[in-house]
Amino acid sequence: MEDIIVRYVTRIILPFVQLYGLYVVLHGHLSPGGGFSGGAIIGASMILYALAFNLSAGSKKLSHDVSSALESGGALLFAGMGIFAILLGTNFLGNKVAGIPIGTPGNLFSSGAIMIITFGVGVKVASTMITLFYSLIEGEDHSHDHD
Amino acid sequence: MSIVNHFPVLAVVVLLLFAYLMPLLMRWRKEWCVPATLGAIGFSLIASLYMMWQVMTTGPFMYQMGSWAPPWGIEFSIDYLAVFATMTITIVGLIVIYYGTQDLLHELKEQVMGWYYTLYLLLMASMIGMVLTNDLFNMFVFVEICAIASCGIISIKESRECIEAAFKYLVLSAVGSGCLLLAIAMIYMVTGHLNFTYVAQALPQVMDLYPLNILVSLALFLVGLGVKAALFPLHVWLPDAHSSAPSPSSAVLSGLVIKVYAIAMIKLLYKVYPPELLGMAPIMNMILWMATLAIIIGSMFAIVQDDIKKMLAYSSIAQIGYVFLGVGLMSESALQGGILHIFNHAIMKSMLFLSAGAIIYATGTRKLSDLKGIGITLPVPTIAFSLGAFAMVGIPITNGFISKWYLALGSLDVGRPFFAAVILVSSLLNGIYYLPIVVNAFFGEPEGAVAEPRPLPRQMVVSLILLGSGVILFGVFPSLILGVVSKAAQSLLGLL
Repeated sequence: MEDIIVRYVTRIILPFVQLYGLYVVLHGHLSPGGGFSGGAIIGASMILYALAFNLSAGSKKLSHDVSSALESGGALLFAGMGIFAILLGTNFLGNKVAGIPIGTPGNLFSSGAIMIITFGVGVKVASTMITLFYSLIEGEDHSHDHD
Repeated sequence: MSIVNHFPVLAVVVLLLFAYLMPLLMRWRKEWCVPATLGAIGFSLIASLYMMWQVMTTGPFMYQMGSWAPPWGIEFSIDYLAVFATMTITIVGLIVIYYGTQDLLHELKEQVMGWYYTLYLLLMASMIGMVLTNDLFNMFVFVEICAIASCGIISIKESRECIEAAFKYLVLSAVGSGCLLLAIAMIYMVTGHLNFTYVAQALPQVMDLYPLNILVSLALFLVGLGVKAALFPLHVWLPDAHSSAPSPSSAVLSGLVIKVYAIAMIKLLYKVYPPELLGMAPIMNMILWMATLAIIIGSMFAIVQDDIKKMLAYSSIAQIGYVFLGVGLMSESALQGGILHIFNHAIMKSMLFLSAGAIIYATGTRKLSDLKGIGITLPVPTIAFSLGAFAMVGIPITNGFISKWYLALGSLDVGRPFFAAVILVSSLLNGIYYLPIVVNAFFGEPEGAVAEPRPLPRQMVVSLILLGSGVILFGVFPSLILGVVSKAAQSLLGLL
């Protein structure tokens, strides 16, 4: 669909949507929201892009392969942080007790491992949304879904 | 601090880690998928055997996530029941997926193989997590992962029946999950805790204030976990789901997944709810009657089936009845029998499904009436099937006899010989549908595809031999497993 209004509005609001999504992800420990909600916002922005410009333009920015690799990466980052705490000598997902620097409460960098984990969740949710979208859109001709 | 202290969480996390690694491996290192899957489950097996040794020598212990003490943090409770269940899950899971590495090649399309391993590892991780966790909400999360992964490994075959069965399962298990979440919310409302230990401490204090909330939560737990465990009137999804899935999926779903929910129910009934509450409502009697109906009616349905996997699926409904019979009788021997039956049935039902899968692989037929003379042309799967059939009937020197023996003893202990008679009748019913197949298989004339089967790959034969020797080993030397089972039963009944 060629719609000049949709494309123009998308072009204007897209950076703001993504920046807001990133803000929600990174402030997960300080404000409402977090990895899931922020990731959903970022994922929605990518879906908006692919809807407004067509699918091939969308997959040029972020292909199906890359988004499913990111999906694994986000989850692996979460599990990796948990195991990192074990390597530091505490229980799984240990944060302050593991000696990860916490910082001053209220600042952006004030939660040690939580921020990295939230970021992992954000990546996972955003890429999952995009992957689901691609799988639905590509439907028939995609190898994962059909003959 | 060495790595062995973290085995409880690593047994779950390593599986999750490899589950997410699998799509990446599939893209770049396809040949690593199988060894990585086997390695991850092998690691969990070693971890669970080590935990078992630890629990048997030094007693149960707790593992706190992130070193946060409860009630704030999530806990894993490594007690007798948990290590027993973890060991069952990892041993059977490893053997089934070893078999699956060959069987799946002909049942699934090549592109989805990697996804199958992802789903399988997620399923294993969620089952181990469910038996280890000491936290209600954590349990709910694992229940959800388990439900989604189970639907995945059914529908991955992409045939019409599989998708229909998986959808039915998905809808019904979503109803079950909803019940569980509501029950957990009700418990949290009146106690303010999610940790099993704290809930168990708080419940007797608030029981008189909010008796209805607590009873409703118990009823919802029974329905929620009952749907997922396929307890009799709630079993409608099971026959289609377990019979249409690929054989390794059927084996793991029938052998392990439905039992895990039974273990969750045992934990709730014996560790969380106060015994006085069980006197307020006839909950144990209800479980007993549902189990009795499951045992009788499940076997009756199985008699009339002509599809080998459908018959095994109906037989699972009867067998989960035994487990709940052991739970409901409230006696030490019966509880031992019920818990032991989880292990025994896991071995024999996965063996039956795998040998059925091997027969289907080699001959292409799933009709029981076509299997005349298969014992001559395909000895290994048929002998495995016969062993499983004998164990189902409960013939001595097979492990099925031991668990039925304990269940019968337990029902006599509490002075309810009716249930011993139920076990006897159901053994006869099992004989009616299993033994003719065995007789036909060995004393019939092979014809058609049965006369010239495809040769079986080594992985299938080895898995069947391993499971078959397990049936005999734990039938002749039940003390190998009874040690941990009786400790589990005693600690649940508060006798330890």
